[in-house]
Amino acid sequence: MEESQEALNNIENGISNYNKGLGNNKEINGSKTPQNLSASIVRKKSDPILVSNVRFQMLRNILNNLHEVVLGTKLAVLFPAIPLAILADFYHFGRPWIFALSLLGLTPLAERVSFLTEQIAYFTGPTVGGLLNATCGNATEMIIAFFALRQNKIHVVKYSLLGSILSNLLLVLGTSLLFGGLANLKKEQRYDRKQADVNSLLLLLGLLCHMLPLMFRYASGLGNPFAIDTLQLSRTSSIFMIIAYVAYIFFQLKTHRQLFESQEEDEDEDKDGEKAVIGFWSAFSWLVGMTIIIALLSEYVVGTIEAASNSWGISVNFISIILLPIVGNAAEHAGSIIFALKNKLDISLGVALGSASQISMFVVPLSVIVAWIMGIQMDLDFSLLETGSLAFTIIITAFTLQDGTSHYMKGVILFLCYVVIAACFFVDKIPMNETIVGNLGTVNEPSSGILFA
Amino acid sequence: MASNQECLLENGNPINDTREEEEEVNHHHGRTARQMSASSLRRKSDPSLANGVQNRHLKQLLVNLQVVLFGTKLSVLLPTIPLSIIAVCYGFGKPWIFALSLLAITLLAERISFLTEQISYYTGPTVGGLLNATFGNATELIIAISALSQNNIALLKYSLLGSVLSNLLLVLGTSLFCGGLANLRGEQKFDRRQANVNSLLLLLGTFCHMLPMLLRYAGDSAVAVDQTLQISRAFSIVSEVDGDEDVQEDVAEVGFWSGFSWLFVVTTITALLSEYVVGTIEDASRSWGLSVSFLSLILVPILGNAAEHAGSIIFALKNKLDISLAVSLGSATQIAMFVVPCCAVVGWIMGVNMDLNFNLIETVSFALAVITAAFALQDGTSHYVKGLVLILCYIVIGICFFVYETPLDRRERKVKRGV
Repeated sequence: MEESQEALNNIENGISNYNKGLGNNKEINGSKTPQNLSASIVRKKSDPILVSNVRFQMLRNILNNLHEVVLGTKLAVLFPAIPLAILADFYHFGRPWIFALSLLGLTPLAERVSFLTEQIAYFTGPTVGGLLNATCGNATEMIIAFFALRQNKIHVVKYSLLGSILSNLLLVLGTSLLFGGLANLKKEQRYDRKQADVNSLLLLLGLLCHMLPLMFRYASGLGNPFAIDTLQLSRTSSIFMIIAYVAYIFFQLKTHRQLFESQEEDEDEDKDGEKAVIGFWSAFSWLVGMTIIIALLSEYVVGTIEAASNSWGISVNFISIILLPIVGNAAEHAGSIIFALKNKLDISLGVALGSASQISMFVVPLSVIVAWIMGIQMDLDFSLLETGSLAFTIIITAFTLQDGTSHYMKGVILFLCYVVIAACFFVDKIPMNETIVGNLGTVNEPSSGILFA
Repeated sequence: MASNQECLLENGNPINDTREEEEEVNHHHGRTARQMSASSLRRKSDPSLANGVQNRHLKQLLVNLQVVLFGTKLSVLLPTIPLSIIAVCYGFGKPWIFALSLLAITLLAERISFLTEQISYYTGPTVGGLLNATFGNATELIIAISALSQNNIALLKYSLLGSVLSNLLLVLGTSLFCGGLANLRGEQKFDRRQANVNSLLLLLGTFCHMLPMLLRYAGDSAVAVDQTLQISRAFSIVSEVDGDEDVQEDVAEVGFWSGFSWLFVVTTITALLSEYVVGTIEDASRSWGLSVSFLSLILVPILGNAAEHAGSIIFALKNKLDISLAVSLGSATQIAMFVVPCCAVVGWIMGVNMDLNFNLIETVSFALAVITAAFALQDGTSHYVKGLVLILCYIVIGICFFVYETPLDRRERKVKRGV
């Protein structure tokens, strides 16, 4: 009686039995988070044919290492873009070219950083690995934000981070649900909705922290005396957002770890991947090297964004909100779709929602605090249109995910929402000045290409 | 067949209501969750004071006094009642009057709830439920009417909004947080149908508040949506009676007329002290350096709700989340759907111009609080991160009003400048 009662209770509250059944097959390897699994899909199996001919052991090791790191991904075709971008800057090619090449170069780098983090996690154990991933999972977005802050382009920071959240919640999630649904028309797609619940709740808190400074501005009129208060409010809210994120990490890695155990692949080829393929110090130095290159390319991107927008005729807003995040997220996006095709929605959700929560509750408040330290006045007031889109996105996504099942129609809706928002920003060519009144005294050049030759 | 059953369950229809086997359902005495929660703060009635007294009537009187006056842990605040009256008579500093009155109200709120419960033993379930619906938030209602009578509409709106926010975010959040931490191994479940009904009512209330605000932005003058609220008020009373689940059968500790007269006395004292609070809030805010809106939004509701708050946390720690939820959500719904429209009607009668238009920030905070709480509760389980997020929402809203200068404060500022 008690057991069936318990079972009925479980179904009532959405804990399906299928998750418990998988428990036997699960390998408890906490360092393999959904993000890692998803990105690992776009990697090739390590097949050191190239090096079998070389005699010297050390040379072979180095070449092996190089092969693993540089050629170990399908995205490696984009690697030539990096030296090309540096050349373009050196020889003063057209600035839009530098922008485009840097963007292309960032795509494989983002994926490599995730790979290297995973390798390091093998050596440091699951908890530190999870922490590493939680902090560096969105390294590209963080670095772009930092450089934009340094060049005092606050709107680029705000809108690229916002665009990241939107792209994760609508584009990545939508396409995953769409393709997963189409590929599994016969079967039922289920996932554990507890994870979705916690993430939705965190995103709602983030939304509240964004809406309050916005309302502030409207309620007290556009007068400047209240801008200081908005800044104070934003900075204090940022501290609380980070507290919430730390609690979420604690929740995810310590007390409720069983909710987040990702569905491991049972296939044989994963047994090989249990060991690290490169050494710890090698991975570490590669990580440092790649981060430096990312930093360099980000600086190019942030520096040339206006020139690119002028010459291509699209607003800086659109580039920051739509283009940058799509490029930066490409690897995770692909991985997420592939896992959805295999009917492993928990991982797709873990990737998309986890990324969105991380940016909203960690990277954004961190940027505000770093700006505080640097003496730059960045607040949490993303203007009306952007905050409105964010609000609807969060509410729609939360509603879509709250029942624990999925079908392709949900994916279609989410994807179309993203297209509509993108179209809105495409046609939105209002000048910059109107959107950043909240930031005391900062004036930026207009975004539309009309005024500059 | 089995999948059909599962389908029904998934969508919220129980196959057989086995939950009732665990708790004895007794609808006879109108003892609601709120009363149970407040009763957790009471000492067992142990009339030791009267042991030595021979005279039967005197003994009864002393027992009565002890039960009513000393029957709660909050009785330590008993001296504040005479102190605040003395402070007014002798013209002490106004901030003192404010502080003392507020502390006294904390105690009186709990006593009103106790006395209502006692009376409901005699009157049966329906009237008991109605009594509870009316007096459950008597403190807030009395403070609101005092503000109305002193024509301080903004103060009225802020204190009511603060009550709703504090119930919905602070009480609920701390209960879920403490409950989650205390029950890290197990999982906390609750009956989500009740939570859903309350969330729905709150959403309706949000809608009713947004309409006048939107109308104002659309250019029309503020239109009172009282009729809608009258209907919803009736609904909320009905649902209040419906949702009662009792646990123990108990005997009343004071007689009916004794309870009734005590209730009358306590309510009068509460009204008096509320007048003091409303009258001295500006002076207190000036002397303490906090804005009036912050005081009325945060401080007054927290103190007025202290007894229920403590009870709610205690029940959450014991993993009885249903009671905590009934207390906090039920209170929030009651204020939003009953007290607010009630004040609008009273204002109408008194000829005071009160509409339902709370300004932009307040309405948006309210809407987001309702949405967040509804999302947190819609799946029927809970853990400490949910509680933490709700608490942080409350803190952020509190900070916002700490730095935000509302129209109330702006008026204050002008008054100060004019002096």
